[in-house]
Amino acid sequence: MSIIARGALLACAWAAGAALAAPPATAPATPASGTTAAPDVAPAAGVAPADNFKTLDQEVQGLKKDVIDLNKDLFVLEEELLFPSNTQVALYVSMDVGAFFALDSVTVKIDNKEVKNYLYTAREADALLKGGVQQIYLGNLKVGKHELVAFFTGKGPAERDYKRGATINFDKGVGAKYLELKITDRVAKHQPEFSIKDWE
Amino acid sequence: MRRVLLGLSLMLSALLGVSSPAASSRAAAPTLVGKNAPDFVLKAMDGRNLRMSEFRGQVVLVNFWARWAGDSRQEMPALDRINTTYSRAGLVVLGVSVDEDLGRAREFAGAMKVSYPIMFDTGAAIGRDYLLQKMPMTILVDRAGVVRYSNVGFKRGDERAYLDHIRELLRE
Repeated sequence: MSIIARGALLACAWAAGAALAAPPATAPATPASGTTAAPDVAPAAGVAPADNFKTLDQEVQGLKKDVIDLNKDLFVLEEELLFPSNTQVALYVSMDVGAFFALDSVTVKIDNKEVKNYLYTAREADALLKGGVQQIYLGNLKVGKHELVAFFTGKGPAERDYKRGATINFDKGVGAKYLELKITDRVAKHQPEFSIKDWE
Repeated sequence: MRRVLLGLSLMLSALLGVSSPAASSRAAAPTLVGKNAPDFVLKAMDGRNLRMSEFRGQVVLVNFWARWAGDSRQEMPALDRINTTYSRAGLVVLGVSVDEDLGRAREFAGAMKVSYPIMFDTGAAIGRDYLLQKMPMTILVDRAGVVRYSNVGFKRGDERAYLDHIRELLRE
């Protein structure tokens, strides 16, 4: 199904969801205690109003789930269109321990061309230290040999300014390429270590 | 005779007003008011990296300034007073230098001795995103990250307008 068609479906689903989520204009009025006032609209024969609302709520939830699923499909399709798997290259950054290095920025060059320069806020660096993995770059590369150089800047041991690089030569095949820029601690030397892992 | 002269002068001024390029550019000046504030991350003077989107939930005043813009010299102390008073109430003031000469911009910012973070943007991308045309420029962003007020230049009385808008946004 084309993206446009899925977009149209998504819009319809949203509209239907909104219509269902809106309070019904003919909602039965709550009768005062001790009175026998009948609701404006009588419920369907044999179905209690509470059951009606339950069914409606289930339908709304179902529609919401459909919308989320469609949105996910749309995202995947968009990614496949912009970054087809035969040319796709994705870079991730991870950090382990980090006792000897406080990350400030990462610069990535592919084939001597700068493709990304990312400044990390304290919150983002903290998220990496807690085990988060960040997708720092997603792009296209043609099949063949390539060189990737990553520069890491930050504060090293004893609060000294620290800048180190890591290089990897890799072969881009027909499938998507995933590379991980890893920052780890080398406890024996009391120094951080920077490496690039090629996820085959 | 006087009426005729008055009529003629009115017509002339109306014609000039319509054809004046300054007036037309003022009318057509694009603004970010009502739109989401573009995200950016910059290094502050104290070495921290600050990201605009991380202040979501707070009222943010962003002041774009340049050393060569005379109004910046008057505006920065006024913003410092605002920051001192309203930071405890949830206001964040950020100063963004758009000076190309980083060294001189740092020198200038140091001399101004303001208490809010000063960041330096030597590229043109942020200025483009924020539709900068004239320096200084101040924008106010609400807790949801939407630009609610924008002011180009700085003149006496603008500080009062900032305060009115800040109080309104802080109450929301």
